[in-house]
Amino acid sequence: MITFEGLSENFRFLVLEVSGQLRATHEFMRAPTRELFDRITGRDDYIDNLKTIIENKCFSRIHTDNSLDRREIHRIRAIHTIAVNLERIADFCVNILGQMAHLSDPGRLRADEYDPIFTEIEASLNRIIPALEKEDLPAALAICRSEYELDRLYEAVFHRILAEMSDGRSVHDRITTIFIFRYLERIGDSLLNVGEALIFSVLGEKIKIKQFEALQKTLSTSGFGDSLSDIDFRSIWGTRSGCRIGRVERVRGARNSTGDAEGGGGPSCDTDVGGGNGNPAQTGPDGQPRPAPGGLGSIYKQGNKKKIIKERDNIARWSTLFPNLVPEIFGYHEDDDSAALLVEFLQGCTMDEIVLTGDVEILQNAMFVLLQTLHEIWEKTATPGPVDTDFMRQMRSRMESVLQVHPGLRREGVDMCGAGALSTEQLIDRCEAIEKTLPAPFTVFIHGDFNVNNLVYDHTRQAVRFIDLYRSRDCDYVQDISVFLVSNYRLPVFEPALRERIRWVMREFLLFAIGVAAERGDATFQARLALALARSLYTSTRFELNHHFAKDMYLRSHYLMERIVAHGGSWESFRLPAEVLDCGCNAIMREETPCALAS
Amino acid sequence: MSSEEKFVFESLQDCESIRAFLEALTEGVGSKHLVLSSGGERIELYPQGLLQVEVKARRKGGSSKVSLKLEWKDAPRVETTDRTLSVSSN
Repeated sequence: MITFEGLSENFRFLVLEVSGQLRATHEFMRAPTRELFDRITGRDDYIDNLKTIIENKCFSRIHTDNSLDRREIHRIRAIHTIAVNLERIADFCVNILGQMAHLSDPGRLRADEYDPIFTEIEASLNRIIPALEKEDLPAALAICRSEYELDRLYEAVFHRILAEMSDGRSVHDRITTIFIFRYLERIGDSLLNVGEALIFSVLGEKIKIKQFEALQKTLSTSGFGDSLSDIDFRSIWGTRSGCRIGRVERVRGARNSTGDAEGGGGPSCDTDVGGGNGNPAQTGPDGQPRPAPGGLGSIYKQGNKKKIIKERDNIARWSTLFPNLVPEIFGYHEDDDSAALLVEFLQGCTMDEIVLTGDVEILQNAMFVLLQTLHEIWEKTATPGPVDTDFMRQMRSRMESVLQVHPGLRREGVDMCGAGALSTEQLIDRCEAIEKTLPAPFTVFIHGDFNVNNLVYDHTRQAVRFIDLYRSRDCDYVQDISVFLVSNYRLPVFEPALRERIRWVMREFLLFAIGVAAERGDATFQARLALALARSLYTSTRFELNHHFAKDMYLRSHYLMERIVAHGGSWESFRLPAEVLDCGCNAIMREETPCALAS
Repeated sequence: MSSEEKFVFESLQDCESIRAFLEALTEGVGSKHLVLSSGGERIELYPQGLLQVEVKARRKGGSSKVSLKLEWKDAPRVETTDRTLSVSSN
């Protein structure tokens, strides 16, 4: 572990103190005494002070020590975040004590309900120090996951009390009990922050990244002026593909100053963006980036040179084929090992927002426009094959990342009194051999990462536009189809009405795709889609910390591979078991000749 | 104390393939010998005598569940020699 004089020691004490506070609170719930009450409330001041000391040391270290490298800075930031959340956990303990005073009968708190909660919290607290010292990602993830478990435990108590309240008795005590358990549930929220801070310390990135926050907001500022020192660079999110992405806009009320870009604009947005090495077609006569149209800001992407170049070239190719489908490039810059791209900030909402929050009419419009757009793209870019696909190779290559997040999501082969099931690896091997016999009959120019949040829908212009295009290539359209379907399926939304909207989107899309396949006489489409969906379902689990949901996708993926292996041959007759997507297409998929809906 | 032997298999199946699994297990119960293996692990069970059987079914909020549990005590293994009698659990 990197040592920071005194800081590590303070931090260790804080963890111990909060663990002690938690145990004492547990004890107090079992048997409340005045003495214990005083001890817990007294220790809370000490914890507050300890947190302040750590906070001061963290800021002072980052501010004064110029020799710190990025990794050390990440660690200090993580320590700070964890300290803040630990102090909050200690506060919740004190709040629980406060609520206990309102209980006329402390026996109303059931040990069989709160014991497992305390066990879960304590286990997470015990993981903090080793996770930080050993940069142990699985331990950090386990801390994150404890939040789901605590939510589940809280929900059970909540529903039990709610149901009992209908008799109208002891309402006061029951509400107080809910408050007490609510504080325990909120400790889970703080533990999630702790876990995420640990992940940040290891990876330098948040693993669960909120999507395209900037697209939700209305931009009030105009495009770029003469100097990039007037630019406010805000990191929105770091993508999983290793690029840092931020929104760039003019600072409100800023004047066109020069020479202070580093101070005002943030370290990643220097004056070279879109400058000297920029694409001449996209820069103004003075070599500066062109102002963004319509008063909108831009998106700044900086990262791996190969990926950025790929994205730039792909955007250029898309623009030639379909003007207005992709964002315009305003500037490009590269140095030895990284590159930066400044692209148009698109107006509208990402498709996942439309799916989850848009009016039904807007959602229907968006889907209509999307399917029309895709039909046109596939029509125009189709090139006869055959061409090999590599869904199983993709699955195999991401297996390690999946297992790092969810170690249990693979299985051994089993034999149950003669009835057997293949292991994960055996299934992939068999499916890979089958895949080799199933080339795609043609290719189209695909998006390459056709995730529902990589599509922007502009309702006023009735247009769908593509973003994040570094993986675009000529490939089997099944690749985009499966990624789109699974990106909908894996939206972590379980409220029935919203889930029904997601089902509707998947159903419309699947029926459209199967219609296109029928139009084009693509006889092995459903078999290839089964392989692609197996891959997408399995590899998606690495972004999903809710273990139950991740396991659901893992099981569905294996089911698809089993069906492929069991079918064996004559792929024209293979029917995708569409129930794996739970979107209500089962009967239609089993029809001998799927109806052509694309036209 | 003897160490615990365990076998767990979880998967998603359609009714056809579940039937195949159940038939294999039924046959095992009929022959009073169940062999279950996963990777390098293997567990052999010998149902005999009286077996406690529990069938549970539930339907709630759009999801259904049926579980079947068989439980029995393994017969003690009796080893006799000329002079001693030793009884141990399998």
